[in-house]
Amino acid sequence: VRAALALQGYEFDEVQIAEITLQFSRIDSVAQIILAWPLSFASEAAPVFRP
Amino acid sequence: VTGSAADIVRRIRAGASSAASVLTETKARIEARDPNLNCFTAATFERASREAAAIDELRARGQPLPPLAGVPYAVKNLFDIAGLTTLAGGKVNAGNAPAVADAPLVARMRSAGAVLVGALNMDEHAYGFTTENSHYGTTRNPHDRARVAGGSSGGSAAAVAAGMVPLSLGSDTNGSIRVPASFCGVFGLKPTFGRLPRSGTFPFVHSLDHLGPFASTVTDLAAVYDALQGPYPADPACAQRAVEPVSAALTLPHGIRIGILGGWFHEWADPAARRAVQLAASALGAARAVELKGAEAARAAAFIITGAEGGALHRARLITQYDAYEPLSRARLVAGSLIPASWVVQAQRVRRQVFRETLDLLDHFDLLIAAATPVVAPRIGTETLLVNGRSVPARASLGVLTQPISCIGLPVCTAPLWPGDADAALQTGGLPLGVQLIGAPWREDICLAAAHALERAGVAGFRLPLSVRSPPLDGAS
Repeated sequence: VRAALALQGYEFDEVQIAEITLQFSRIDSVAQIILAWPLSFASEAAPVFRP
Repeated sequence: VTGSAADIVRRIRAGASSAASVLTETKARIEARDPNLNCFTAATFERASREAAAIDELRARGQPLPPLAGVPYAVKNLFDIAGLTTLAGGKVNAGNAPAVADAPLVARMRSAGAVLVGALNMDEHAYGFTTENSHYGTTRNPHDRARVAGGSSGGSAAAVAAGMVPLSLGSDTNGSIRVPASFCGVFGLKPTFGRLPRSGTFPFVHSLDHLGPFASTVTDLAAVYDALQGPYPADPACAQRAVEPVSAALTLPHGIRIGILGGWFHEWADPAARRAVQLAASALGAARAVELKGAEAARAAAFIITGAEGGALHRARLITQYDAYEPLSRARLVAGSLIPASWVVQAQRVRRQVFRETLDLLDHFDLLIAAATPVVAPRIGTETLLVNGRSVPARASLGVLTQPISCIGLPVCTAPLWPGDADAALQTGGLPLGVQLIGAPWREDICLAAAHALERAGVAGFRLPLSVRSPPLDGAS
């Protein structure tokens, strides 16, 4: 989280970083559900762009 | 007591009321009731007076009146209203220039003769399910002012529930129409993704944002939905479909195939929510349980897409104005902006797959039923929910039953039920709980017809809260 914050240009104090890290850990746990979801290699994303 | 929109139009057409007198009554109700509920963040009574006068002038000249002639309504404060700053619930937006034009849906309401009386409270930037807004105050549930109204369109649902306006507009990214409709006991429609133009509204998650109406009756909900429909070429997210009117077709087709969503939707429904589903299913003659197998994955996909797109949208301002953001959601927004791109792509792939699998299911069913919320409205400030023995973070979990459906863009009408009537042991405190009536893409007509059937059967329906019929509570604010 610290590296990603720096990469994005954020500057936070330790209390704020702890809060953001907690939130990111919740996102991470939810993300595991989709990362483990079986998909065929060629399955496409749901595109937002409609020409 | 506020009449329905249909009653108001009837009275104005018959000359029994003028639009100006309806507005005067509405203004008095808002001034009397809103201080206890905090639904409105701005009133637009001067504009409303002009719009009402235009309706009265039309009638005086003997000209045909539009379908919502003289009906007062209000909109979530993420809709552009000409001359007003679009807050989207955020203090960080308060210094922005006023909108130069109405959002297309507000313009369509004006064309339909409706009278705009104000802008309504919401979770900041629509990132929440409770309308506990640290900047503009919490919107209270009209049925129990110690409880949340739901969110993020909490002001929109509560204003209708309290009888201040018969109609309102809101938005729904992950459940922000359906959750407050459930908690406040009103009807809400989340149309198919892409059905209505979103131009002129403050975005949250472009991949998932929907707009839609609230009303106290299904007839009103259908009427406002008909007024909102139609292509809008300037908005690339709009599907540009012709108007498909539903108001005249609110009868459920004979032989309709209805499935009761089990699995995820049963596990995350407490006894009151299960009872509400059972009541609705029984009234509609549905007995077959079905499973939407990708529900958990769709919910997770919506969660990731929301975090990433919402975080990306606000990243630049979070860097410079973090302290001005909502304390209840700003750390979540920043965390979302850190989500790796590969997770977002995976979420969009899951979304597509679950959508395709659900279309297969909808080959066999015309309508699916599920609870809209896992529980009745929690108390303001609730941090943790207990759902069937599982303890979960309240604010993140109230959309657990709505997110899988909006993720794949299906139309949903939420109908308010009162499960405590049927079983006092449920201890709902007399609070409502909504049921989602879910259709295939572009079949809002089926969703609304099912809601109408429940309303006519007396199973679902609007009730004016005791709180607006009794004196204000001491200390209520």
